[in-house]
Amino acid sequence: MTETSGALVGVRIVDLTDERGIYGAKLLADLGADVVRPEPPGGDPLRLRGPHREGTPDGCSSLWHAFFASNRRFFCVDLTDDERCKQLQSIVEHADILLVCDGAFGFEEIDLERAREKSPKLVVVNTSSFGTEGPWKDYLAPDLVAGAFGGSVGTTGDKDTPPLKTFGELNFMLSGAYTAVAALSALYSARETGAGQVVDVPVNACIASCLEHVLMFVWYNERMMFATGPVVPRQGSLHWARTYVVMQAKGGSIMVTPTPDMMAQLMWLVEEDLHEDLLDDSYMEPGNHRAFVTKLMAILRKFVGMKDVEELFFEAQERHSPYGWVLPIDKVAANPQLEARDWWVPYRVGDVSTKGPGAPYRFSETPWSLGPYDGPGADSAVALAEIGWGEN
Amino acid sequence: MTRPLDGLKILDFTHVLAGPFATRLLGDMGADVVKVNSSTRSGPMATTHPHYLMWNRNKRALAIDMSKEESRPFCRQLCERADVVIDNFSVGVLERWGVGYDTVSPSNPGVIYVQMSGMGEGGPWSDFVTYAPTIHALSGLTHLTGVPGRSDIGIGFSYNDHQAGLHSAVAILSALDCRRRTGRGQRVDMSQFEVGVNFVGPALLDYFANDHAAGPVGNRMPYDPVAPHNCYPCAGAVSENVEDERWVAIVCMNDEQWQALRGVMGNPEWSRHAKYRTAESRVENVAELDAAIADWTRQMEATKVMTICQSAGVPAGVVQTGADMAERDPQLALQKFIRSTTDEHPELGAMTVDALPLKFHGTPCDEYKRVRAVGEDNAAVLQEWLGMTAEQVQKGEEEGIFT
Repeated sequence: MTETSGALVGVRIVDLTDERGIYGAKLLADLGADVVRPEPPGGDPLRLRGPHREGTPDGCSSLWHAFFASNRRFFCVDLTDDERCKQLQSIVEHADILLVCDGAFGFEEIDLERAREKSPKLVVVNTSSFGTEGPWKDYLAPDLVAGAFGGSVGTTGDKDTPPLKTFGELNFMLSGAYTAVAALSALYSARETGAGQVVDVPVNACIASCLEHVLMFVWYNERMMFATGPVVPRQGSLHWARTYVVMQAKGGSIMVTPTPDMMAQLMWLVEEDLHEDLLDDSYMEPGNHRAFVTKLMAILRKFVGMKDVEELFFEAQERHSPYGWVLPIDKVAANPQLEARDWWVPYRVGDVSTKGPGAPYRFSETPWSLGPYDGPGADSAVALAEIGWGEN
Repeated sequence: MTRPLDGLKILDFTHVLAGPFATRLLGDMGADVVKVNSSTRSGPMATTHPHYLMWNRNKRALAIDMSKEESRPFCRQLCERADVVIDNFSVGVLERWGVGYDTVSPSNPGVIYVQMSGMGEGGPWSDFVTYAPTIHALSGLTHLTGVPGRSDIGIGFSYNDHQAGLHSAVAILSALDCRRRTGRGQRVDMSQFEVGVNFVGPALLDYFANDHAAGPVGNRMPYDPVAPHNCYPCAGAVSENVEDERWVAIVCMNDEQWQALRGVMGNPEWSRHAKYRTAESRVENVAELDAAIADWTRQMEATKVMTICQSAGVPAGVVQTGADMAERDPQLALQKFIRSTTDEHPELGAMTVDALPLKFHGTPCDEYKRVRAVGEDNAAVLQEWLGMTAEQVQKGEEEGIFT
């Protein structure tokens, strides 16, 4: 068990999540909560997820698992052994928060009603694909399918590609973040009132709630300047407002936008003598804003094509224009801002140490921290003893 | 207590999306969110713009013109009474207004300050200006989300703004739990860039541990042998426009699901070939595999493909548009995900909203109050938070402080 000083020190959590909720458990664990993650004797199936650390023994080689199952105490539970199931039930009854996903390891074996009777303050967060009822409730939905149902896939991609999944596990990182919000809000309420509760976190609705313009266009398309109907087509990086798009510069791609100050962008083009007729007063008439934006973006594409990507990015930021250099992973890894903020942290995976992502936030008094990552079943004796019963 | 965060007082200086989404979440769960704005900053139409309507329900609206020196003592008093102060300006704006954390915390030691700037405090890029598409580009998300050979696609919506909002809520609620234990508040410095980079965590670990730089893989799994794993075209498009295309996502996470899919397709001859026998060999021959599956899906409507696949235990789902979700999705309807505000907007009537996707069994969150005009709640907020009389509020409005 790692000594920690995080904001959630003392909060006890049992983590019975799968991919749909595991990121939420990570957020809470990394903030100092004592999170135990029971797994089957053969090890958590998620330990098989790639990428793997080359040359590291099986069981703790998964970098995916090291990231998502950080700061946990692992211990094995043989669900065919009644005694072990009783121990799992007892652990839950000693927890502040139980995080579950329907169908995940241990979910069926927990008697939730009994646990809530014995521990009235217990918060139970159930992250499922569609909630607990309805015609699709038993549908299987890994991340790509979840994104299809939730709307993120339909709005990602280009007209000459299929609808696209976001890289990695981004749909489940939304439901994971909601899982953490649900747990902490219910914990806040339980601290105030003494009453715990169950919170359902349906993945489909979590994704649908984070699509920015998608529902906005269904309801308000008649008021949107560039709308052609209630559905915005897949259009690559082109933003629904048509004022953000990735363009090709010399040496790389860059996300270009004339917002928030279009006049400042226009003056930049004037300096470069590329403004064409954009200073024409007619463009300033309210009815011509659409034509102005369309022309401005077309000129910007020519302008960007003449520039070196790195120089353009820094000049834009110098002028307070929120351009974004499209960086591949090796350049992200070498980012000077992350280096200056001392953001990277050491990850110990098995018996080796590597560098990895740091905290998504900085607490002034209770720093985020990362402990070592262990193989299956490690720490079982400590975990069991600390909550009042030993290994036997 | 009727909602989980009832009684929590939040002073909200946020704007655009990331910050307002954070406070929308907290407001939906019952916190008293007071959004500070001014008529000069927001402009005459801003609070009825669809984008503003989406992110600012369940908040009370207080007008303070922070450009006026005489406004600042009132703002400071409000900060002294808040449990949480949150902003997403560039670093240093609240300090310049005289209400930075170091100024307020001595008289309100329990206050939690969340500053969700683009790049965080300090570092050579700390003054950089960012929106979600900027963060997506800089964090690797744009490069990685796309098809091989292209780096101009990226995520089709402002993912990071929503995640920054969710992470702010996590930070606030964690700091509140800590305060209950220690009696002390604290400052949270959130870099939206760092939030974004965090999402490519496994790819970064792969880079540092194995010297392997991930690239875009379309709809493939980037690291694990899984096939089929793609979106496939279906019948039923009402036009040739991209927005009218119909697609279904189909995934076989294991051989059992692949065998089930073969059964659903009628065990076609091509699927018996040895090259599709294992996940690894299916991945090796994935272009051919995808083309054959697409030939099958093209004959049917997406809903039909989804239904027969799911009945056989194969993960599949219609690639839904906003209109599908709003009008035809039976789960979202059952979840009451789309509903009307509980009160009517004076100009726009009852507003349609997408509800908080969390179902609290003990403290349901079923109240969705409409967006308020700038300063609409001046009297109520200033009386409740600062004990001011109606006359004092009116005088402040006449003097241009609360406008």
